[in-house]
Amino acid sequence: MPRRGWIGTSLVAAALLLFPPLSGFHPYYLYLVSTALLFGTLATSWNLLAYAGQISFGHAAFFGLGGYTAALVSLSGLSPWLALALGGAVGASGAAAIGMASARLSGASLALGTLAYTEIWRGIAHNWTAVSGGGAGLIGIPPLTPLPWLPLDLARSRTGSYYLALAFLLLVIAVFWGILRSRLGLAFAAVREEEERASLLGVHPLPWKVLAFALSGFFSGLAGGLYVNMVRVVEPDLIFSHYFSILPLVMATFGGLGTLLGPALAALALYLASELLLHPYIPAFHQLPYALALIVVALYLPGGLAGLLPSPSPLPKRGEGETRHGAA
Amino acid sequence: MALLEGQGLSMAFGGLLALRGVDIAVEERQVVGLLGPNGSGKTTLFNILSGLLHPTAGEIWFGGTRVTNLRPWQISRLGIGRTFQIARPFVHSTVFDNVLVGVTFRSRDHVSRGEDRRREAERLLATVGLAGKASALAHTLSLGERKRLELAMALSTRPTLLLLDELASGLSPKGREEVVRFYGQLKERGLTIFAIEHSFRVLARVADRLLVLDQGAIVADGRPEQVLGSPRVVTAYLGEEE
Ligand SMILES: Nc1ncnc2c1ncn2[C@@H]1O[C@H](COP(=O)(O)OP(=O)(O)OP(=O)(O)O)[C@@H](O)[C@H]1O
Ligand SMILES: [Mg+2]
Repeated sequence: MPRRGWIGTSLVAAALLLFPPLSGFHPYYLYLVSTALLFGTLATSWNLLAYAGQISFGHAAFFGLGGYTAALVSLSGLSPWLALALGGAVGASGAAAIGMASARLSGASLALGTLAYTEIWRGIAHNWTAVSGGGAGLIGIPPLTPLPWLPLDLARSRTGSYYLALAFLLLVIAVFWGILRSRLGLAFAAVREEEERASLLGVHPLPWKVLAFALSGFFSGLAGGLYVNMVRVVEPDLIFSHYFSILPLVMATFGGLGTLLGPALAALALYLASELLLHPYIPAFHQLPYALALIVVALYLPGGLAGLLPSPSPLPKRGEGETRHGAA
Repeated sequence: MALLEGQGLSMAFGGLLALRGVDIAVEERQVVGLLGPNGSGKTTLFNILSGLLHPTAGEIWFGGTRVTNLRPWQISRLGIGRTFQIARPFVHSTVFDNVLVGVTFRSRDHVSRGEDRRREAERLLATVGLAGKASALAHTLSLGERKRLELAMALSTRPTLLLLDELASGLSPKGREEVVRFYGQLKERGLTIFAIEHSFRVLARVADRLLVLDQGAIVADGRPEQVLGSPRVVTAYLGEEE
């Protein structure tokens, strides 16, 4: 990353760390920025999967599985912290399951498969009333309990969920950073660029693709669990909404596929622009930033999403080519 | 038994019979050349031998193991490496990473330190004369450099048998000379080579044996001077020298 990038990143990080006191612990703004951070986590995990060459239209499924799991576990009386972790695990399993479909499907057909997968889970949540509460969903989800080694208000208040959302985002970024420097990153890039060639060099593509799905699903599930914990309710039409599939995709492509920080920064910028700048004044058009972002991407990258697939400029070391995109 | 044996290999693409019951045998440490006009099925044979295609009929043995219908990564791990006629590197990765993939994943239970793998990748690039290009993105390479990278990638899995698809095509006379030298070096290293070349002059200089494929069938098989001495083979199947 060039020096200007480091300075910019440090400023954003400092602003995020100091935001709660700076905002006077204002609950609404804390909630808003927390949600933006959750979108940052979703966008980064979407990007991680795309780094392995797999495009998803169904991250809402992993987000929603994490959300429902966290809700059910904490409502059953178990620790909400455990509930969050299990949400991540179930998000990972759910993603690995659809990742198996990448043995047969790829590109747009796999993406459509993930879209249908979300609909299946939404249908299950609607109809399995005894467990999921049906269309009305589940309410009264307990707040996070204080941890002995964490200050009390960090666990129970909006400030608590804010810092937790920030921690999740930093975690997924750190994991992605590590992957890019490991054998995993090498295998992911090879599978993305030329699956057949990779297979001739000893790479069995399917396990790597499934692993990319599982990792991506894990962080999406964590985010889903925390989201449910913040809003205290979970409903099928809300949590399995395409909103949670399409926004991460838009944010990641806008921020720069294959870049470490681009998707998270784009998530913060687009979500906050939409909610803070547009929603109060022209509510009907508050989703305009996402559409504009897509248009920008389309203009700079003819061929759209599919055209992007084989050509992300990866990170430092692995791709200082002529196609540098993203803020990272 | 030969290192590589194929018996009755056939490949149909819809109605098109690209291979019609081909028998081949490549002895250990030999250089066997494969000649034939455009579309005669040479690359298709390599695609079958490397596991990218499954033959519609026939059997393949490698080192005494039946490998018919194994998947590409399994065949690669058993020790067959290949290059592509039109280079297929990971174009958006560095030249170094292109070679590192095979070094890293060539064996399932491969445990080696990252540093050893990096050193081996560097050595491979030096072997093919690409040491100075390690950090370039593969798509910035010239045609000749891509051919060298193809070879380094094929060698990165430490194969015992190399399938080389038209390494010399499209190169300058100087580049061809270099390819001929490469063949010699690979043979000295104890590798077995099965090589397609469009130019029979190149193959005549390096091969211990030549096979000629025409319309999916082997029409000549023997020592280079025998095969190339037959005027029928030269005029009918080998075409004009480039
Ligand atoms: N995947 C495929 N699907 C359909 N037809 C194919 C496929 N691969 C090869 N063919 C056809 O099979 C025949 C043999 O092709 P192949 O590429 O093996 O020839 P070749 O001997 O390598 O020719 P060249 O010297 O031009 O490289 C051709 O008619 C080709 O069009
Ligand atoms: Mg060919």
